[in-house]
Amino acid sequence: MSNEELMSFLRKNVISVTCVIVSILIGLAIYYRSDLLPDAEKVLAQRAQQGELLAANIEDSNLLKDQHTAILASNEAISNRMIRVGQLAENLQYFYRLESETSTKLTGNPRQVPLPPVLKNAPKTNFVAVPFALTAQGDYAQLMDLLRRLESGEHYCRVMTCNLHPLTEMRGGQLQLTLSIELLAIQ
Amino acid sequence: MALSQTKKSEGLPVPPWHPNLRIEESLPDTKVVRTAFFVNGAAILVAIALALYLGIQEWKLHEVNKQIADWQRQIDRDTKQSAEAVALFQNFKLETAKTKEVSDFMSSKPVISAIVLRLGQMTPKKIALDQLDFRDNGFSIKATVKGAPDRASGDASAYEKQLRTDKVLGPMFSDVNLLTMNRNSTTGRLVIEIFCEYAKGQKKS
Repeated sequence: MSNEELMSFLRKNVISVTCVIVSILIGLAIYYRSDLLPDAEKVLAQRAQQGELLAANIEDSNLLKDQHTAILASNEAISNRMIRVGQLAENLQYFYRLESETSTKLTGNPRQVPLPPVLKNAPKTNFVAVPFALTAQGDYAQLMDLLRRLESGEHYCRVMTCNLHPLTEMRGGQLQLTLSIELLAIQ
Repeated sequence: MALSQTKKSEGLPVPPWHPNLRIEESLPDTKVVRTAFFVNGAAILVAIALALYLGIQEWKLHEVNKQIADWQRQIDRDTKQSAEAVALFQNFKLETAKTKEVSDFMSSKPVISAIVLRLGQMTPKKIALDQLDFRDNGFSIKATVKGAPDRASGDASAYEKQLRTDKVLGPMFSDVNLLTMNRNSTTGRLVIEIFCEYAKGQKKS
């Protein structure tokens, strides 16, 4: 087909030729831009998820400030009830004060048992349980008072072992209380 | 010769003949609807359909990009506040762990004074407690049972059962056993030892 014939064909079919060219161009555009929409939808899903997560964080934190303040106050009160690991004199003074308040008699000296070595795999804790051993004498009411003050008193205390027995054969007489306890302490 | 030839030609049918002088390309299309109309129509329709498809896709893409931009604005606005909330929550968890640690510490062992008081309330008058020994896994009760040994042994057995079924102490124990039952050579009374074993995994009172 010569140039003249080609020009003649184009002139004669100008509409259909134009449409074919336009269709090809649009087809190419569709082909090259076909990935954009799925990619954009993926990005939209990610952004929506991220946005919803952030919004949920903010919404959920509405009461968190109050709760955080409350728990800080609570932990402050807890800390005030803790003993300090290194303050041996103050710690033992606690038992002598109890002795005085309950009118019991501490036989021997209450002593702080050395802390067991911390195991490598042991979970990290905020507080340390410091063991103490003490022996007290008194009547039943006095010793029960001492025991109750220890268990629900100023410091957090748990009784590991406890032995209660009369000092003499005589009923209603003096009793002896041997305790091994742990007080919760701050390092 | 000429005659015979004439005879032959008369016998064969002669096809109609005329010269075809038409130039097909230059003749006009005489159909009612020209072919070019259909060709052009189809081409236009295809082009329009493709243009429409592309337009719809582009419009969708524009809408999606607009939504992405909206989310991004919201993310930019919320990121700082959310980070603060997350940090606050992390701190809250640490503080909660402290409270839980104290709670676990306090609930890890039974309250001895409460047990002693309850024993004092529930123990029959016939039985006098001689010694209470609290250990890690339970406690033992040494007691003297008043009365003649034959009746005293029954009372000791009843006391063991009473400990097991007591509404306050009973649930704390996995087992209650009468370990020993001996006669005191001096007083002649029966001396018993009962061991109450704590239930494992149960929250201590």
